[in-house]
Amino acid sequence: MEKSEQERRDPVCGMNLTGLLETFEEKIDGEAFYFCSEPCAKRFKTDPKKFQGDPMIHLHDLWKVFHDGSVTTEVLRAINVHIWKGDFTVIIGASGSGKSTLLNMIGMLDRPSSGGLFFEGRDIAATSDDDRTILRSSKFGFVFQQYNLIPWLTAYDNVLLPRVFAEAKGDMSREHIEKHFSDIGLGERMNHRPTELSGGEQQRVAILRALANDPEVIIGDEPTGNLDSTTGNKILDMLIKLNKEEGRTLIIVTHDVDIAKNADQVIVIKDGKTIPSHARHTKIYAE
Amino acid sequence: MVRLFLVMRVIRRYTLNDMLKDFLLLVLKGIRYRPMRSWLTVIGIVIGIMLVVIILALSSGVKNVINQQLQMFGSDLLIILPGKETSIVTGLLGGQKFTYNDIMDLEKLPGVKSVAPFDVGSMNADFKGEKKSVLVHSSRWDKMSALFLESRGTRMAEGVWPTDEGANEVVLGYLAGKSLFKNSARVGDEIIVQSKRFRVAGILQRTGEQTDDNSFYMSWDMFHMISGVNPGVVTAMLRMQPGENINLVTRQIRFQLEKQTEVTDFTILTPEKTTAIVGSIVQIVELVLVIIAFVSLVVGAVGIMNTMYTSVLERTKQIGIMKAVGASRDSIMSLFLIESGIIGLVGGVFGILLGLAVSYGISVAAMNFGAPSLFSFVSIDYFELVVILIITFITGVLSGLFPARAASRLEPAEALRYE
Repeated sequence: MEKSEQERRDPVCGMNLTGLLETFEEKIDGEAFYFCSEPCAKRFKTDPKKFQGDPMIHLHDLWKVFHDGSVTTEVLRAINVHIWKGDFTVIIGASGSGKSTLLNMIGMLDRPSSGGLFFEGRDIAATSDDDRTILRSSKFGFVFQQYNLIPWLTAYDNVLLPRVFAEAKGDMSREHIEKHFSDIGLGERMNHRPTELSGGEQQRVAILRALANDPEVIIGDEPTGNLDSTTGNKILDMLIKLNKEEGRTLIIVTHDVDIAKNADQVIVIKDGKTIPSHARHTKIYAE
Repeated sequence: MVRLFLVMRVIRRYTLNDMLKDFLLLVLKGIRYRPMRSWLTVIGIVIGIMLVVIILALSSGVKNVINQQLQMFGSDLLIILPGKETSIVTGLLGGQKFTYNDIMDLEKLPGVKSVAPFDVGSMNADFKGEKKSVLVHSSRWDKMSALFLESRGTRMAEGVWPTDEGANEVVLGYLAGKSLFKNSARVGDEIIVQSKRFRVAGILQRTGEQTDDNSFYMSWDMFHMISGVNPGVVTAMLRMQPGENINLVTRQIRFQLEKQTEVTDFTILTPEKTTAIVGSIVQIVELVLVIIAFVSLVVGAVGIMNTMYTSVLERTKQIGIMKAVGASRDSIMSLFLIESGIIGLVGGVFGILLGLAVSYGISVAAMNFGAPSLFSFVSIDYFELVVILIITFITGVLSGLFPARAASRLEPAEALRYE
């Protein structure tokens, strides 16, 4: 990467600043840094050292193109994103904007068509399936809008599932899991199949499952999308608690602007591109 | 093959207690969730394996029956039958018979010790109101008694051999007397055969050969009087003098028999020839068995493959979920292979059990019609059954291979989008 090009990137959110109408400059210890927006500049000033190191997840000029016969759809176009360890990041955008595809890239559920995808400094865009699986299984926990529990397994077995596939088998005794079920108020529902549970209950089970391998990153693809607002808020509280109290990196895709208010970082995506940051931050925070 | 190796590598990576047990439980829960689909696939295999087992059991029964008889006859016994050597069965069914005298004349040849002519027929017997169809052998009383005693050492269990060729007397095989009818027969009892009253003169000891033990024995004259069939010899047992040259005696018999005009084609079975013929029949039976086994296994395998492909489609989303929560390609492949292997194995187990049950049923039914018992649990080759089980498991695994490969190669995101 050319130095001049690197200088044109926001060190906090990773956005490419080339061509932006307005950028923000901050001088720290005599050195000039450029940002896409005021919030990014402010965050940088609070902990400049953190943002000069490697982000936990780094997407670099990432493209995702789908081919269906002769039709080619560019779902993600030259995406540049930094996600920092321990942050709560919200990816926000309209339906079809590419936000779920972006999340799939971050969670290694899909491969980019081109560009770089780095996890803790390591390029994982082109690594083998096995390596991606090991990384996904040990570092990531997923919570989906549709809950995605296996219908023929009980809630208990669903929670245990990531353990079955995990390389390293940690302590996951029955008592241990039972305690977790009690903690989320499902102690009596452990041996029920997903179809016998309400949406909120299924999502709580899904969160337990996401935590089974003690992951550093929790990924939520519209985790409250299928729930009423009260239940949705409870689920959201559970997830945010995992971020604030346990320090797990939390990345949530949503089109609910309210969720973004609690986030450390907001990525707005429109037509496969992250929206110029100045506009997005001011707009989101104004709301 | 490479994938299979990788799967084996995964299996080795954990202890049996860990992964295999977990995977097995996972698969079993999945199978139990779709009982109808799973059982229908299993039935596909069951039918194939059942056929194989029936053929195996009955063909080994046939082999045993033939071998038993061969052993009983000893090396100095020749059997003379109508029909060409290449088509003995057609000859027997063709109804050609030697005349009694033509056969008895053979006794005058040098080197021949004795000749026993036999005629056989199925007749209706009525004992204390219970009616059965029985196989009746007939010869002269002295010929029959000598043959049973000399070739097998079989004596009377009760009573004695009759001597009067014209008397209404009958001798029963051991099982015919003891278990063919609800009431077991005793010497002196009355049995009606083809509407004529007979006195039970004796009951033979057990010979161990089911056909003979279930048969009635009757004098030559009486048999032809009540059966209404043309008198004649269907088979003749010829015993040589000890130490005689078998080829020389055979040539003499052939020369003598070619003079008679009743039976144009006939066969003289020497022990060696009998063994060779039996051997070639058994080979044909086994070839047919292999072909049927192969075809039914292929049909079963296609069934498993079909189910597994459908299953992959149905569970695409679940495969995506499993991959998202950390299942590797090898894990997904292992799950599907274990599932198809289990289906094959369960099909094999049930196929074997059903096959044995049906063979037993066929054998019992055949015995009621007077045919020899073709099946006994003692004669089953258990090693063959183990081989069948291994083959069904491997067939299951192999049929699951392509669907499993397809499942394991799905990108998680792509699979998750599937509804």
